[in-house]
Amino acid sequence: MNTLSTGIADSSITPGRILAAISTQIRVINALILRETKTRYGNYKIGFLWALIEPLVGVTVFVAIFANLRNDSPSGMPLVPFMLVGFVTYALFRDPWGCMQGAISNSRNLLTFPQVTTFDVIIARGLLEILVSFFVLGFLLYMAHLMGFEVRVERPLGVLLVCLLLCVLGLGMGFLFASLEPLIPSIKQFGTQVMSRPLYFGSGLFFTVDTLPAAVREFLLYNPVLHMIELVRGEFFYEFETSYGSWTYASAWAFTTLAVGLLMHQAVHKSAIVKK
Amino acid sequence: MISLRNVNKKYRTQNGYRVVLDNVSLDFPVGKSVGILGLNGAGKSTLIRIIGDAEPPDSGSVHCDQRVSWPLGYSGGFQGNLTARENARFVARIYGESTRYVEEFTQEFSELGEYFDEPLKSYSAGMQGRFAFSVSLACNFEYYLVDEALETGDARYREKFRMAFEERRANASVILVSHNEQTIRRNCDMAAILHEGSLVLYEDLKEALFEYNILQNKPR
Repeated sequence: MNTLSTGIADSSITPGRILAAISTQIRVINALILRETKTRYGNYKIGFLWALIEPLVGVTVFVAIFANLRNDSPSGMPLVPFMLVGFVTYALFRDPWGCMQGAISNSRNLLTFPQVTTFDVIIARGLLEILVSFFVLGFLLYMAHLMGFEVRVERPLGVLLVCLLLCVLGLGMGFLFASLEPLIPSIKQFGTQVMSRPLYFGSGLFFTVDTLPAAVREFLLYNPVLHMIELVRGEFFYEFETSYGSWTYASAWAFTTLAVGLLMHQAVHKSAIVKK
Repeated sequence: MISLRNVNKKYRTQNGYRVVLDNVSLDFPVGKSVGILGLNGAGKSTLIRIIGDAEPPDSGSVHCDQRVSWPLGYSGGFQGNLTARENARFVARIYGESTRYVEEFTQEFSELGEYFDEPLKSYSAGMQGRFAFSVSLACNFEYYLVDEALETGDARYREKFRMAFEERRANASVILVSHNEQTIRRNCDMAAILHEGSLVLYEDLKEALFEYNILQNKPR
């Protein structure tokens, strides 16, 4: 165990050692995810229910507002699936980020185990959130279908690809914030209170870009999440094709953010204040 | 064998840097249990955390070709709001041991009874110590890194641990940090003294204890 992380007197890299290191890492991340599930959802029986309730409340509120405000559904899409797709796919980006940012400070005592690294505790939280969000997405769409709403997916593969882009962006933000948080604790507040609100209202959860006034549209289109939500609706609904969502812009943001996040983690993870 | 090579570690404090390890190089002999003595604040816990790779040194390296435990302390490594059972499973998973074996061994050896399914944070320090030791014994390490915690628990239970370690002596050794001479005398073959950044190993336990006494009584 220790041999892997501290290196042996002869510390040459052999395929055997690389395999052993990878299998240790997978084992650790798996253990962390199981443990995280227990801490988060095990003690409170309604834990998983919460994951469903949160998007449901958002969807219900906005469906109620829109149903009263005007009768036509947005750009021809059925209202309830329209909202569901917006709110739940948004969680694929927001939840990993939100959960990962406190990972290091909240898992200090786990870092006592030599094979548990800061990378592991951060990624484990992100992966768990992504799994839960995908589960919620599937479950709620199925429920909507059972309740008689029209749920037909035009291009499932495209939907999956955009979902993955949202995850990548969320993981990138997560790594960035998690790495900075031990050095600048207030960055967490900055993330959850300053950044998340404009993102919530400006990412197209309850509107499409073509309904926006030109000036607002131009400004909001700097937001990569808005591109992703546009794209996911375009892939999902037969009734809707986005003329604003750009794959290039969205992927560039997602992968650049992930690279920046991982580099930031690489830069700080050895400093004493981070691993202690 | 565990060996330290040119290990440096310092901390920033209110009054500038405090050096805990100043270019320390030391080989811990194979099969010997070593006690590490040092005055309060000498950096014993830091040293054992560095040996166990729970904390990186500022520079230098730690080499080791055996299965080393994590630094066993009162609660280090465990999650207070999870039960002993869940914590034991976690340890088994990250060390690649059978979860069932570790769970059962720990439950029996720790003698925690019904508390085994209560969150760790409801435990007394003694009970936490018992749990930590039992889990580590379930994992069959070749080196056990122990940070003071042997002093927890009642006398009967301490004896039980000593016996368990004694049984494993053939293929397991202990590196034990303590400022208590008694603990070192009972559990170790030799001792090292950590003082003002330097770590000196004495092959003769008596000599080490003698030197440590001088150190303790020296006016500061």
